[in-house]
Amino acid sequence: MPDQIQVFSLPDVGEGLTEGEILVWHVKVGDVVTVNQLLVEIETAKAAVELPCPFAGIVTTLHVEPGEVVSVGSPIVSITGAAVLHQRESVLVGYGVKHGGEPRRRARRATAAPRAKPIVRKLAKDLGVDLTALTGSGHDGVVTREDVLGATRGVQTAPEPFDLIATGEPVAVRGVQRAMAEAMVLSAFSAPHVTVWVDVDMTMTAGLVRRMRSHSAFTDLHPTALTIVSAALVRAAREHPRINATWVDGDDSPVITEHAHVNLGLAADTARGLIVPVVRDAGRLSLVELARAQKAVIDTARDGRSTPADLTGGTVTLTNIGVFGVDGGTPIINPGESAILAMGRIIDKPWVVDGEVKVRPIMQLSLSFDHRVCDGGQGSRALAGVATFLADPAAELLLG
Amino acid sequence: MRSAMNSMPILRASSRKASADMTGIDGNDPQQMTMAQALNLGLRRALERDSKTVLFGEDIGRLGGVFRVTDGLQKDFGEHRVIDAPLAESGIVGAAVGLAMRGYRPVLEMQFDGFVYPAFDQIVSQVAKLRRRTEGAIGMPITIRIPYGGGIGAVEHHSESPEAYFAHTPGLRVLSPSDPQAAFVTIQQAIASDDPVIYLEPKRRYWDKGSVDVCVDPLDLAVTPDPWRARILRAGSDVTVVCYGPMVRTCLEASRANSEVSIEVIDLQSLSPVDYDTIEASVERTARLVVVHEASRNAGLGAEIAARISERCFTVLEAPVMRVTGYDVPYPPNRLEELFLPDLDRVLDGVDRVMSY
Amino acid sequence: MDDSGLGAAGVQLLTPQGERVEHPDFPLALANDEYRGLLRDMTLVRRLDVEATALQRQGELGLWASCLGQEAAQVGSAHAMAASDYAFPTYREHGVAWVRGVPPLEMLAMLRGVTNGGWDPNRYRCAPSTIVIGNQVLHGVGYAMGIQLDGSLDAAIAYFGDGATAQGDVNEAFVFAAVFNAPVVFLCQNNQWAISQPTNRQTRTPLFERAAGFGFPGVRVDGNDVLAVVAVTRYAIQRARAGEGPTLIEAYTYRMAAHTTSDDPTRYREAAELDAWRQRDPIERLRIHLTSQGIVDDDFLEGLEREANDLGEFIRAGVRAMPDPKPGAMFDHVYAERHPDIDAQRDELDAYLASFVEEGVR
Repeated sequence: MPDQIQVFSLPDVGEGLTEGEILVWHVKVGDVVTVNQLLVEIETAKAAVELPCPFAGIVTTLHVEPGEVVSVGSPIVSITGAAVLHQRESVLVGYGVKHGGEPRRRARRATAAPRAKPIVRKLAKDLGVDLTALTGSGHDGVVTREDVLGATRGVQTAPEPFDLIATGEPVAVRGVQRAMAEAMVLSAFSAPHVTVWVDVDMTMTAGLVRRMRSHSAFTDLHPTALTIVSAALVRAAREHPRINATWVDGDDSPVITEHAHVNLGLAADTARGLIVPVVRDAGRLSLVELARAQKAVIDTARDGRSTPADLTGGTVTLTNIGVFGVDGGTPIINPGESAILAMGRIIDKPWVVDGEVKVRPIMQLSLSFDHRVCDGGQGSRALAGVATFLADPAAELLLG
Repeated sequence: MRSAMNSMPILRASSRKASADMTGIDGNDPQQMTMAQALNLGLRRALERDSKTVLFGEDIGRLGGVFRVTDGLQKDFGEHRVIDAPLAESGIVGAAVGLAMRGYRPVLEMQFDGFVYPAFDQIVSQVAKLRRRTEGAIGMPITIRIPYGGGIGAVEHHSESPEAYFAHTPGLRVLSPSDPQAAFVTIQQAIASDDPVIYLEPKRRYWDKGSVDVCVDPLDLAVTPDPWRARILRAGSDVTVVCYGPMVRTCLEASRANSEVSIEVIDLQSLSPVDYDTIEASVERTARLVVVHEASRNAGLGAEIAARISERCFTVLEAPVMRVTGYDVPYPPNRLEELFLPDLDRVLDGVDRVMSY
Repeated sequence: MDDSGLGAAGVQLLTPQGERVEHPDFPLALANDEYRGLLRDMTLVRRLDVEATALQRQGELGLWASCLGQEAAQVGSAHAMAASDYAFPTYREHGVAWVRGVPPLEMLAMLRGVTNGGWDPNRYRCAPSTIVIGNQVLHGVGYAMGIQLDGSLDAAIAYFGDGATAQGDVNEAFVFAAVFNAPVVFLCQNNQWAISQPTNRQTRTPLFERAAGFGFPGVRVDGNDVLAVVAVTRYAIQRARAGEGPTLIEAYTYRMAAHTTSDDPTRYREAAELDAWRQRDPIERLRIHLTSQGIVDDDFLEGLEREANDLGEFIRAGVRAMPDPKPGAMFDHVYAERHPDIDAQRDELDAYLASFVEEGVR
């Protein structure tokens, strides 16, 4: 190891001392010194102590004269010699006397989400404004003074606010989210679920989507396979009403109600978690109307502006788990409904067409249904109907 | 001799002039001195003032205390006034109870914060309660000095912050000075108090120097601040930072380092009772409060201050009361104490948190 | 004649001049390897101690409590223990820890500030060094009560100093040990000083005589005579194993260094006293004896000096190379089971450290 100049700085020799006076040097410049050779005597607020040399080598500089008071951490001697491994930058073992100086630069902190400051609560109370009826426009959704004052002018609409989920922190489950969790438990443990699967060649659906996107009627509606699958499910619900029905445990005997309308629930992944806005009476909508209605309810949900009414009243639900990169699953039926359809990802796979293996965009459909409401045949036929629709959607739409 | 001990020197420690002894102080001008020296001078004044005042503790006589706070006092006042105790903290406090009953005014030194616990029983069961139990017939004018807190690279049990135990105990008063002037004044006020005072000396600040007005009469409240009142050390308008003892200097440095936010710094000084009026008046103006202490957070002093200020200032607050404290772990090995102890950046982080509401 | 104050009651098998004397109650015959082992251990412990003191003075350790001069009391008593016995040391028992097999760097880790403890107590059957004066003596008694309940033949040995005998804990330990007839040895190293206070500021009777008042035997031994310490500790441990209860040993010795590196003994004691005790050095007297008996020769001593120097260099390099603990380490082992505050604050610290844009912590 090459020689180098190493500096010995005044250590804190007595638990938090800040300075010391050099009393006597026991070496001089040019001396050859060994490790632990007596180097210098210093005096601190506690005692006069002898410091042994930490390095072997030749003394090149004495930085401090006897009688001088130096602060802990100041260089007192330089010695040229073989470098010592692992020499600490700081001579302080602990935190020592380090203090002060400039703050280090920090990224701005994103705070947890308060709903309203105490002072705003008081304002709202004084003005008779229901804070829970407001959507916060402040930082992280905090309800601000302006929100409260705006409400008194009748400017604010009043959708249900959601508790925000702060990353990495446990979040109390409240409101809609809690109701949904309880409903899911209720559904999963009361309705006997059956799930059936089918794979579909989406070549023709994909072609139709491309055509819709280039058509002016669909401008800004961003149609996707979801739009067509929705139409397929709505069709199946009309043709197989037992997947668009409700089981009710009546006083005397349970009853099944087949709904006249198809209110299509669309499970949407939002910042607030999974919520299910509903497209009402979807059976009466044309494809373009369906696409527009879908976009409207999903955008509202993603913005956190869904009202309770937007989230209730569904009769059958479609969930797109393909966006998460999976093929199929066993979705849990929304309470009060009898079926839920999950669409998987669309992925190129070998598919036999006219006796030949071809690469085709394939999607798996999973339909869970309530076996109290549908028997196996009813449920399976409904799913097969969806698959048939998707295999050639144009033909199905032509048939109306 | 051939033993290996010859191959290197035995290192000596000696004493030439290391001293906190302030006998050499002359004139009436303000003096620059360390907190240790200011305490030494305050103790000297207390011994001069009242012949019933006695100092009692381990190694406080000949050695002058491990931090040299009692340096020179035994030499000048005698072994009957500055008494070296056997090594038994419960014994020191328990015997002080008897001394107090006999009319003495004991000033005790616990050598380190971690060594007060053997005396905890005597403090909370007897010292704190005897006035009440005797319906005022017996007072406990005992001052218990405890060097406390971390930041000196010490070993186990030498960096404790036990203030919450004592502040929680009815019957005790708790004081903690933050600079030499406060130390000089409040140690005399603590000794003069007829109540027992736990006097917590921030050992990290023993060697901080400051100007001390040695002429001030600490017992004349017409000219000297009431020791039980908090001190506003820096005025500000955006956020109030409450601190005490070793954290005061840190918070003052933080307040100066952030030019964007106007930070008001309050030194509590008295940890029991806490001067909530001063804090409340400040928070009424700033609407934001950060409490800083190096003791652990759970059930610490910051929790009580946050609760009180929430009660008093609920509709004024722009943000929750934030605490910047040590973590809820045993004091860590000293290579980690820099992370455990709130520093300038942690204080400013707390300020950021309340300002971001 | 020994003018140390040891007195006629003090058991001595080796005079300060290295002359072997017999004691009727404490015969001792060791194999040559055992003699050499004692000399080797004392020499290496001293080197460890001196190196650690130097490292503290160079800013590498926060504090060091030297055992200089007490090597015989520590090494000798630890040599009398069996592997299955359990030691309860103070912060100064580096010689005990060494003999129990604690690696030197594990002894130094706490002083380096990288851990709250340092070694696995159960591995070496040597409890963590205890800093609050006297606490560990009760622990030793309780451990011995457990031995007794188990019907085991093990013993516990609790170390403490003269200063600690003023503490309630130590006196309570005496009471408990006597009442329960616990198989414990109380090994009090009377090193004459409790920081600045001489032993007569802690007690007005010889410490070993206190045992009688509690109801068990007390023996004073020349703590700078490693052979006498071995013999007396063996006797006490044998009593414990035989179900005869506790014994107090007062090992009469001297703290040749400061209380710790933060202390300044010139404020309270005379240089002449230290000079007198240097004449009673525990290592030197054994070396003289073993040399005169031909049990060690120059080759052995030169080899030992090399070993000591190697140990010093090993410690120096090892201390400097000790890695700092990771920030989150302070949250480890606070509780056996998960604790929400700990989890939350660990995350809080991580997030805080991650919030710095330019640099890490140091």
